[in-house]
Amino acid sequence: MRGSNWAPATIDLSVRIYTRLLAVYPDRFRAEYGHHMSQVFRDVCRRDYQRRGMAGMTSLWARTLLDLIRTTVEEHIERGLHMNHEKFVRWSGWALMGGAILFAAGQAIGNLDPNRNDPIGGVGASYEIGAIVGLALGQVLFVIGFLGLRAGYMERGGSLGGMALIVSVIGAGLSLAGILMMGVTESELAWQAWAIGLLTMTLGLAVFGVVALRRKVFARWNFAPLLAAATLLLPLSGLAGDSAVTVAAFSIGLVLVGFRMQAEAGRTG
Amino acid sequence: MAEAAKSPENFLPLTPAVFHVLLALADGEKHGYAIMQEVEDMTGGSVQMGPGTLYGSIKRMLTAGLIEESDDRPDPALDDERRRYYQQTGLGRKVLRLETERMAELMALARRKHVLARAG
Repeated sequence: MRGSNWAPATIDLSVRIYTRLLAVYPDRFRAEYGHHMSQVFRDVCRRDYQRRGMAGMTSLWARTLLDLIRTTVEEHIERGLHMNHEKFVRWSGWALMGGAILFAAGQAIGNLDPNRNDPIGGVGASYEIGAIVGLALGQVLFVIGFLGLRAGYMERGGSLGGMALIVSVIGAGLSLAGILMMGVTESELAWQAWAIGLLTMTLGLAVFGVVALRRKVFARWNFAPLLAAATLLLPLSGLAGDSAVTVAAFSIGLVLVGFRMQAEAGRTG
Repeated sequence: MAEAAKSPENFLPLTPAVFHVLLALADGEKHGYAIMQEVEDMTGGSVQMGPGTLYGSIKRMLTAGLIEESDDRPDPALDDERRRYYQQTGLGRKVLRLETERMAELMALARRKHVLARAG
């Protein structure tokens, strides 16, 4: 049969079938390499047919089908992991923006309490609950946001940036624990956990902010993490009074970071 | 992590497919079919890569910076213009050298233990 007239037809048919089968690969992979894979398959068909005729073609098809099944699974798994990573970074960007807004709202509600500075110590329950809920939800979203920031920008931020964001995650978690404790106890420990957690979170963010400025981890607005951290570190360190302006600046800084994360999610690695 | 990931040691040990592709490109740029052919020739036919394995490996090696596309065409008159040629990068050369050294050390260890003599 080798060398007969229908040899090219056999090869052409094989290539056509193989090219159709490439549809099982993810679109992006097929668009990038599909043509080249068909071309290589055609070359191997010609070679194996010349060497061993139909036996060579049968053996080639057996090998190729196994290769197709195995690598299709690999490529789809890889694509799935990539998409999940991209989605996580995008959604954690939204979480960071939401957390910043809730944090500012919680602080604002607490400040609105008319009994806040009452020397006898009375508090408005609705204001207190509103503040605690806002701050607690804000901290939950901060934990998600900083984890996403680390996942999306660790490669660009280097090991120092990655470590700094782990510190921020731990700080946000500790702060959250403090807020939740405040809801059930008047213990001083709850306040200490909240303050130490917030300080730790902000220090981690400050270090990441310096890394972001030096290494240009975002496409733009690399000043944003340091803006957020610096404005909150001043009142926390006692160098400046707690004010609506510093909380607003902190929140704006984090909103900008969150915005960059969701905008750049497909480009981070 | 960028620097850490680019460190040649971080790529070791290589998968057989990546090692064979790097080895096939050790003496110059080649297109996909030429790489496949070279691997089969080098291994006496014991390693036969399918197009999926070949281009899956090429995709990952391009992403990792171990190889790059080459604009050179050894003989444009004889070749389809749409064929892509690949060549090792500096990182790819270092990784291949380190992997070969690693395997040579393992081989030396096996020799000291007379594994080969027993197997023979």
